[in-house]
Amino acid sequence: MATGTALRKPRRRGAATSASRRMLSPDRLALPDYEYLAQRHVLTYMEDAVSQLLENREDISQYGIARFFTEYFNSVCQGTHILFREFSFIQATPHNRASFLRAFWRCFRTVGKNGDLLTMKEYHCLLQLLCPDFPLELTQKAARIVLMDDAMDCLMSFSDFLFAFQIQFYYSEFLESVAAIYQDLLTGKNPNTVIVPTSSSGQHRQRPALTETSALEGVEASLFYQYLENLCDRHKYSCPPPALVKEVLSNVQRLTFYGFLVALSKHHGINQALGALPDKGDLMHDPAMDEELERLMAQLPGLLTTPTSGTEGGCPRTSPRMGSPWKPLHHPRKVDAESDGSTEETEESET
Amino acid sequence: MGDDDAASSQHGWSTVSCTAPCQDGGTSGSGRPAGKMAEKRRPTAPVAGTSEARRASPARGLATESEEEFLRQAGVTAMLRAALLKVLEARPDEPLPFLAHYFDNLGLRSPANGGAGEPPGLLLLQQQRIGRALWHLRLAHHSQRTAFNNNVSVAYECLSASGRKKRPGLDGRTYSELLKRICRDGEAPEEIVSPLLRKIQCRDHEAVPFDIFRYGMLTCFVLLEFVSRADALYEVLDDSGQADRRVCQAVLDTLEGALLAGDFEAPSRYLEAGSQLGPDCLALAMDRALLARKPNSSMLRDEFLEKAATLFIAKVRPVG
Repeated sequence: MATGTALRKPRRRGAATSASRRMLSPDRLALPDYEYLAQRHVLTYMEDAVSQLLENREDISQYGIARFFTEYFNSVCQGTHILFREFSFIQATPHNRASFLRAFWRCFRTVGKNGDLLTMKEYHCLLQLLCPDFPLELTQKAARIVLMDDAMDCLMSFSDFLFAFQIQFYYSEFLESVAAIYQDLLTGKNPNTVIVPTSSSGQHRQRPALTETSALEGVEASLFYQYLENLCDRHKYSCPPPALVKEVLSNVQRLTFYGFLVALSKHHGINQALGALPDKGDLMHDPAMDEELERLMAQLPGLLTTPTSGTEGGCPRTSPRMGSPWKPLHHPRKVDAESDGSTEETEESET
Repeated sequence: MGDDDAASSQHGWSTVSCTAPCQDGGTSGSGRPAGKMAEKRRPTAPVAGTSEARRASPARGLATESEEEFLRQAGVTAMLRAALLKVLEARPDEPLPFLAHYFDNLGLRSPANGGAGEPPGLLLLQQQRIGRALWHLRLAHHSQRTAFNNNVSVAYECLSASGRKKRPGLDGRTYSELLKRICRDGEAPEEIVSPLLRKIQCRDHEAVPFDIFRYGMLTCFVLLEFVSRADALYEVLDDSGQADRRVCQAVLDTLEGALLAGDFEAPSRYLEAGSQLGPDCLALAMDRALLARKPNSSMLRDEFLEKAATLFIAKVRPVG
């Protein structure tokens, strides 16, 4: 009870301040132009819109340029703009990262629903379906959180992987810095001497061999928090809300790096603050999507469901376009030899 | 005004030299991913930028110069510049939906782009004009007075230019319609809005001068914000799930006291009103209300909002 209200209160206050910020927001108006644009990544999207436009020059004549930009920015707002894009774009802004997480969840939710357990490599293949050049390193790091840096070829559940991946992907730069701080604390150096933004990746791996004396494993939580709080203050990339980091760290005396990451990934409030995924309990719950999937399944003859006869053409075959509207997915043309030979799918369904 | 640039983008790009906002943004962002891409689009992109651009589209062997030429000729450069200027003027909290909306409107406006080429009927034309005016009015929050004023005058021009046959000018009917639309979209309850409309509406056949138009628009937007603030206030009073009538009334009375006393011409009056609404005075009043031995009942949201709005509307100067 007590914790329930304690949790709810700050959120309501947060909502109120964001509402008032929407109405007046003096800080937004006081920023210099370029800072305002940089803060909201306006130019990133404008540049991207132009390069997309150039890539699809041929389609413009029929759409019109304004229409093209409308669709582009609509798809950015809906978060469908990151599908099948290059990794550098996907990680370019917090919004893109959140959109990608959401897309990954929505596309492969069924994996979790079926209760399938997959290996790190298999999850990586799934990620590459959405982003062909997705780096293996990032998937590995996420898997390390789930498996506590141990037995890397183990199977993982979808939700475990997803939430670990979310932390690793969304807060990538922040975690790099955290790893550096952790490493310094562990070796007794003063973390303040670290130049954080340029800390090289994978630094945390050169830690000394695990000591089995578990009492002294890891670093002292309160000291760790002091450095992290400081880090959050000056970090230019997104970091989890410091209050929640504090909450995570105040529950324990000492903790290890992976212990910390696991706690972050399982933290309900951090997931909410990030805003890309639903609560763990609702992860498999998306009735609208289920309905859509079932409808699609029913339309695919001979796939999973019992083959439906050609007379079901009454319902229009509207495949949900998830990609950018100007970049149609190239579905392999279905060639069903046993059908009546008509290849004009749309005409067929009209009759 | 800035918006007309966008409309006339095809021939409006003679003002290439005013790329300042674009370039500033691009260079300052270097070091971030945006910075790299900014190089690419700049009209005077150096050779280094060309390989960037080509990498993005390996299939096409066209040089960057022709890409720039294409962007310029198609009016993309001018269109984006106008859009960027609009974003900077309005500084929306969420620029991406703002841009989507902006381009949507742009596309609808020019039949060549939107595809809706057939000449619209008179009524449809009127609706379009109102829609366009609304869009201008909403581009900037009314607290950004310069931007808001600009947009109000653009909206006024939009509405006044009614066809070739009629004389230019805005009639009361259109003005009232616009006010109603603003209130409806603001989702304020009918009973709150109608007293305001009665005060600031004009008769259907009357010509509406610009000053009245601006006053009406501003008042309408301020009321809507006032109502949403009052709503937030009620949310606070309603903390336990039931807003105490005595406390609500005390808050309303304090508000009334602060609003009614004296004229607002003297700047010091604002300070006085502010202090009356400050935590000290308000808390005392609420405390007193709670201690008073009156029967406890609750006040509903609608009643609270209506009472608060009445206080506001009482201060609105009637038009005409």
